[in-house]
Amino acid sequence: MAQETNEKAAATPVTMVTLTIDGQSVTVPKGKTVLEAARSVGIDIPTFCHHPKLKSVGSCRICYVEIEKMPKLQVSCATEAMDGMVVSTNSDQVKQGRRAVIEFILLNHPLDCPTCDKGGECDLQNLTFAHGTDDSRNDFQKTRFREDDMSTTFDDKSIGPEIVLNRNRCILCYKCVRSNKDAFGEYDLGVYERGNIAQIDSAPGEQVDNPFSGNLVEICPVGALTNRDWRYKIRVWLTETTPSVDNFQSSGSNITFSKERQKNKIYRVTSRPNDDIDDGWLPDITRYGYQIVNSPDRLKKPLIKKGGTQVEVSWDEALDTIAKRLANIKDSKGSVCIGGLAAPSLDNRSLYGFSKFFRKVLHSNNVDYRSDCRMLPSSSDTICSRLAMQPFSISDLDDSDVIVVFGSDLIREHHNEYLRMRKAFNFNGARLFSITPYAVKAADIAELEVVHRPGKEEFVLQAVCQAAVEDRLVDDQTAGRFREQVGNVDLTELCRSAGISTDSVKQIARALASGKKISFVVGEIVTRSREREPIAAAICNLNKLFGLHDKGQVAILARYANSKGAQKLGVVPVPHKMLVDKMNVLWSETPSCEAHNTDAMLALLKKEEIDSLFVLGANPMMVYPDLQFAREGLERADFLVACDLFETETTQLADVVLPLCSWAEYDGDYVNLEGRNQTARAAIKPIGESRTGFDIMAALAARFEASDLFEVDAIESEISQMLAIADTPALPQEYTQVRASEDKEKDGFDIPLYLCDDPHHSGHLTEKSPSLAEFSGEAYAEISFDLANRLKLRNGESVRVESPVGKIIIPVKISEILNTDVVLLPRNFSSTPTTALMMRKRRVDMVKLSKVDD
Amino acid sequence: MILTEESIQKIKEKAARYPHRKSAILPALTVAYRQVGHLNDEIYREIGRVINIPPVEIAEAATFYTMFPKKPVGKYLLQVCHNLSCALVGADSMITYLEDKLGIKKGETTDDGLFTLISVECLGSCATAPMIQINHDFHENLTREKLDKLLEELRAKA
Repeated sequence: MAQETNEKAAATPVTMVTLTIDGQSVTVPKGKTVLEAARSVGIDIPTFCHHPKLKSVGSCRICYVEIEKMPKLQVSCATEAMDGMVVSTNSDQVKQGRRAVIEFILLNHPLDCPTCDKGGECDLQNLTFAHGTDDSRNDFQKTRFREDDMSTTFDDKSIGPEIVLNRNRCILCYKCVRSNKDAFGEYDLGVYERGNIAQIDSAPGEQVDNPFSGNLVEICPVGALTNRDWRYKIRVWLTETTPSVDNFQSSGSNITFSKERQKNKIYRVTSRPNDDIDDGWLPDITRYGYQIVNSPDRLKKPLIKKGGTQVEVSWDEALDTIAKRLANIKDSKGSVCIGGLAAPSLDNRSLYGFSKFFRKVLHSNNVDYRSDCRMLPSSSDTICSRLAMQPFSISDLDDSDVIVVFGSDLIREHHNEYLRMRKAFNFNGARLFSITPYAVKAADIAELEVVHRPGKEEFVLQAVCQAAVEDRLVDDQTAGRFREQVGNVDLTELCRSAGISTDSVKQIARALASGKKISFVVGEIVTRSREREPIAAAICNLNKLFGLHDKGQVAILARYANSKGAQKLGVVPVPHKMLVDKMNVLWSETPSCEAHNTDAMLALLKKEEIDSLFVLGANPMMVYPDLQFAREGLERADFLVACDLFETETTQLADVVLPLCSWAEYDGDYVNLEGRNQTARAAIKPIGESRTGFDIMAALAARFEASDLFEVDAIESEISQMLAIADTPALPQEYTQVRASEDKEKDGFDIPLYLCDDPHHSGHLTEKSPSLAEFSGEAYAEISFDLANRLKLRNGESVRVESPVGKIIIPVKISEILNTDVVLLPRNFSSTPTTALMMRKRRVDMVKLSKVDD
Repeated sequence: MILTEESIQKIKEKAARYPHRKSAILPALTVAYRQVGHLNDEIYREIGRVINIPPVEIAEAATFYTMFPKKPVGKYLLQVCHNLSCALVGADSMITYLEDKLGIKKGETTDDGLFTLISVECLGSCATAPMIQINHDFHENLTREKLDKLLEELRAKA
């Protein structure tokens, strides 16, 4: 039945229409506008209010065209292209129309271009120059919006931590309000009043501080919305641009740096629209995160610990020391006593060089890029790792009719995918389902949000499978096989344990059974769980039962800019067999000694069985979910090397600290979560004496007389051969039994704790960006309104969060979204060591909360 | 809370009549205006919570309609039509007359809090111009004597 409709859909050809524009014949699919048809053949029509990713409103009217047989000029952005239309975009009537529109738009415009930051890249300035007149018939006073307090010049009004509004310059194209509501699902900006006092402003009593607010400034066609990041700092024509790729998010949004070469300084990040990845929208993390590059806190010279304090030394001294100590340990105790952690945001060359240095030069297999996961399995060929290597495409979310988000708070983890999901809902009517242990923002447009009891992920999945079998949503043969291999489980019992209703489970099962193109995406709540393996097994069962792979995608979404690259280049203790085979070919051999992952390395450091740890850009002291455990390990290290952009909790403990370049300072390739390899170009020269990860590894290799292994051309060719391995490991052929274990409850600790990212931060570096710090404020504990009420806490009051191993005091933030007893702690603030509350052996960390009395 | 339980019930009843919650914005604003006498940000937020719509959308609709006062007004809101038909038969002199009589300017409220005087766009009563709307009632074919009588009655009622 489903197949039949698919065939029918495929058989219906897209109707095409042919029209003539400026004497040129243009053929476009039916439904396209005259504007889109014209632009498809390179005919430019000026626009203000049109945005390719938003619905047309036709409010500015500058896109007038003349269409034969139509009595008046038509707005091309809102007129559908029809067969046989004869369009003129440049006739006298059109020119006159445009002139009139410009004159009208300029009626109340202050013409303050010399002091306006949009000057030089302003649509209104450009189009006035191209189509307007140099005179105005306006002889009355212009409407002027004044700020009562006059604290800012030119009637500017602050409407958010970053955004400044000047209503006089606004031409009411509504692009900001429309994108905010339609594309981002945010309601902190609106248009008020009417006529000549119609105006944009923030929502009553609110600030424009949503995690996508930077886009509003970028798409403003005039200087009405500007951001503090760029205001009054530099003129656009004094900057040069460099194409690059975002380094804070795994989707790898395409960006452009604006820089000033003489000052070796980056001034801003703007989008470089790529419809496959970002649709031209950048999250604020990406837009303002670049500020860390020119931060005054950057490490500029190598440091060596001498007599208890770290002192600045030359690169030669630092590298010689490292080489000597590592060689000593290798010779006296064996290379298995050296371990390395790399950050998953480094480029391919650094990660590959890191892995090659350890394996080929030191003969150690102790490398890992996952420093934020607890209880990692020692084997690499697990169901979870196989699931993580399945293909995923961001743009496939667009036309999925059913999207299930499992164990992910998208707005904190995957901003681009969050926007895609909204797009699928707004433009294509996708049905969304969210399954998480706490309520999430993304669920505001979900058909159904399932909030299950924390630590019961696999129960929900099993229940969905069981519901499908019981309600005969899958064919009898499939159901029979499932029953045979998994056995019969009691649906009511499963739902009761997970704390969810059987109806909701059945609703999801029906959607999965009837969906034509399904995207099932899995997030960090699963990958960072101790029980990732049984949960992955349950996902595979679900996948097999509903045949999800055949009608869409099932994928674990990787975090961080180059996790996928690290995965594909084998920066794990035991890479997948196909990677090891390739390494053997490329390097003629790989070490066969024992291999330890992050967990094991930290444990062995504690036992003094590993003596040295080399940390490249990672910060286990901040992100490893058990601070006590990480500290004990690192403090016992005989020799700790840490490379980073900034002084971190990890570099403070190090014997040698090396300053690392940021991604904006060298050409590097990054593999995004889809497996797409993208290049970020160097925008500026390295800050201070900082070096790239690869340069550090190569310089160390030279001291081991292994320079020949690190020739750039050869390395590049090896990397491309590694990345070219296209095979994806097969998921289990049969249904598997799902056996997860649970924590033994501890008395008094009754509230589940989840570590998360603030929507304006990612990882441990972004807090160095002043703009992002302004958005997020200080560290906080997010709890529901109900819980706050019971604890008699008001927003901003201090709460004591206690776990069996630690205690912190932190301001409380009352969430509008959470509706169960759970506490969310962002891990992006070094001032508050949230991981101190966590225990690596727990599935779900439990805490108790109490009000702090002054 | 500004809205009374009764108003909230009324808003809920009205919201239930429409297929889209957004359609209930204007009826809800009317209920709030009739109870409070004006509208403000806090009211937008309360209505937003009742009909589950972001407050910004309520505020957008409310500010678009000039007929909703956004600041506290006197017990009687005197709304003199100043549009074409009324203007031709002396709306301006009616406004000046009221200003002099009440000792306030257009847009102001009398010290006793009884009257606020404003002028408004066409109220659709051109055949009986000039006219005034006082709170929710029309008073047509105005003359100075008629206005004197009206104000006297209102004062007596207050």
